[in-house]
Amino acid sequence: MKADSNRSNSTQPPNWLAMLNQKKKKFELPLKVRKNVVFPDRLGSLVIGFESKDDAILGSDSEFESGEELETFQPHAFGFEREDDDDGHEVYNSDDGKSELRIKHRNEKDGQNQVSVAKLIAADEKRSDLEFELSQKEINLEKLQRIASTGLPDGGSLRATTWKLLLGYLPPSRDLWERELTENRLKYKKLKEELLSTPTEVTRTKDKSDSSSEPETSSGTDGQLERHEISQEDHPLSLGKASAWHQYFRHTEISDQIDRDLQRTHPDLKFFSGDTPSSKKSREAMKNILLLFAKLNPAICYVQGMNEVLAPIFYVFSTDADEQNAANAEADSFSCFVRLLSDSVDHFCQQLDNSPVGIHSTLSRLSEMLRANDDELWRHLEFKTKVNPQFYAFRWITLLLTQEFNFNSIMRIWDSLLSNPFGVQDMLLRVCCAMLLCVKSRLLSGDFTANLKLLQHYPDINIEFLLQVARDLTPDTSSYRLSL
Amino acid sequence: MVLVLALGDLHIPHRAPDLPAKFKSMLVPGKIQHILCTGNLCIKEVHDYLKTICPDLHITRGEYDEETRYPETKIITIGQFKLGVCHGHQVIPWGDLDSLAMLQRQLGVDILVTGHTHQFTAYKHEGGVVINPGSATGAYSSITYDVNPSFVLMDIDGLRIVVYVYELIDGEVKVDKIDFKKTATTTQASH
Repeated sequence: MKADSNRSNSTQPPNWLAMLNQKKKKFELPLKVRKNVVFPDRLGSLVIGFESKDDAILGSDSEFESGEELETFQPHAFGFEREDDDDGHEVYNSDDGKSELRIKHRNEKDGQNQVSVAKLIAADEKRSDLEFELSQKEINLEKLQRIASTGLPDGGSLRATTWKLLLGYLPPSRDLWERELTENRLKYKKLKEELLSTPTEVTRTKDKSDSSSEPETSSGTDGQLERHEISQEDHPLSLGKASAWHQYFRHTEISDQIDRDLQRTHPDLKFFSGDTPSSKKSREAMKNILLLFAKLNPAICYVQGMNEVLAPIFYVFSTDADEQNAANAEADSFSCFVRLLSDSVDHFCQQLDNSPVGIHSTLSRLSEMLRANDDELWRHLEFKTKVNPQFYAFRWITLLLTQEFNFNSIMRIWDSLLSNPFGVQDMLLRVCCAMLLCVKSRLLSGDFTANLKLLQHYPDINIEFLLQVARDLTPDTSSYRLSL
Repeated sequence: MVLVLALGDLHIPHRAPDLPAKFKSMLVPGKIQHILCTGNLCIKEVHDYLKTICPDLHITRGEYDEETRYPETKIITIGQFKLGVCHGHQVIPWGDLDSLAMLQRQLGVDILVTGHTHQFTAYKHEGGVVINPGSATGAYSSITYDVNPSFVLMDIDGLRIVVYVYELIDGEVKVDKIDFKKTATTTQASH
């Protein structure tokens, strides 16, 4: 097995004591490495951090599992081999090799505890970095992107604020935040009133403004009730196109579909599913957002799956530690959802399927990227097993990977997607490609059915590793690439 | 926002072949939540047709109905309102407000929907509202031949009802609106 041969190249004998000694030495190394990577008090530091990230040898975020970390600090023979894409992937992709390495390293419980302390320290430092960045008057988006691509901490309002900045909802200068937020929230409220109110409410407000003397008289006097003549558009059975009622009934169908989809969103999370008043409120808010989007974009309307794309955004904004932000999560989520969807909205439009901006074009780009990075795998998938990207990657791309991983992993992946300076789609394709490469050995040994089954139910995998592989891929330089 | 259709006295097939085409084109399924029918359909086919418009159908027996098992009166609670349905041939004199008010107090409802006179009326009387949707087919009544097809659609929203009256006059559908708000003391009529 190749993994074995690799290990035999290193000077480390595969036995307990040696391992332990190795590890004791190792404890200084992380600190040393970190000194190179992150200086919370110096601005120049993050540039260094960025460079070392490109350097595949040192992962600047020590959130790698202990298995990975140890490998990086092994004698260079191992480290260099890791740089080489094909070989490196061989090492990690032969599942036996990977798990074998891991099992060996996990035997030392001691080491495990020590490493997690190191992890905590690193996470803490990153959090303070992030807080520092966000507290600046003029936020440097590039630096924010760099920190975010290493993963954002859960809890607090860091993730929510960072996502808002990365999506362009909040401007980089802190002073304008207050104004922007109140403006946008007001706009949303008005939009809701305009488009989402039932026709009864509309007529009621119209009546109030038209006649000041409401039939209050009816409460006192008996006798024949007054009849008011109304136009052909104002009654509920009206079939006129301009009638508010007619449009309302047309949209109830969409509303029903959205309801059904929302019931099925993340059934394992209490936030979305179940009959508690809070989850009902969440679903109500999400329904409003999706309905509003459908009404404002009649060309695309609502497509099943948009609820999945909305879910992480809404969750992050609703669990914002800042009370005011959490209360306005609906309005903020709407704007950010629209922004996020703006570059991938063409994927949802069926007429554009075969056009240069449609989903098929993106799928072929994924194919090209895979070919550029791993010809063997590409050949195997494309010709031998005939697994067309359409069969598995359609859902990956249109839903931004929300259906492939558990919720926490989705948030971590989205940190990277949103913080890519070249845009979400670029990183998305890279991650998809990385997903293929990471299960390469299983794919190579599988036939059509096995491969399809594997790719449609993607196995659990270390997310940091996946993202690292994605970062290291050669970029998509295909000639027919349009966007930038 | 609950839409309730009130109609009756169709007298199909005896006095009229069918609903007017313009009415039929407006009554599409999916919009209406309840139907209150005062009676005199008269045959099962009409019952089935009304069921396709809305599955929640409440019918009371008219004197010419072929289905004998419809009740004489029915009480339905929709939102904040209690509605009563009765054909009206039982209340003598036919169409007399005081007698109808007596029936309304007996049933204990806010709004009483009756028919039989084949004339649309909407009265506020002694603390309650009496609505007569008229005849949906324009069939002649025991009293008069001069009948315009009409029916009533009620939009119940909280404590407020908007009553839309649809009448077919000279081949054109005319729609009128009546606003009605329920006050807390409407049901407690003391006399």
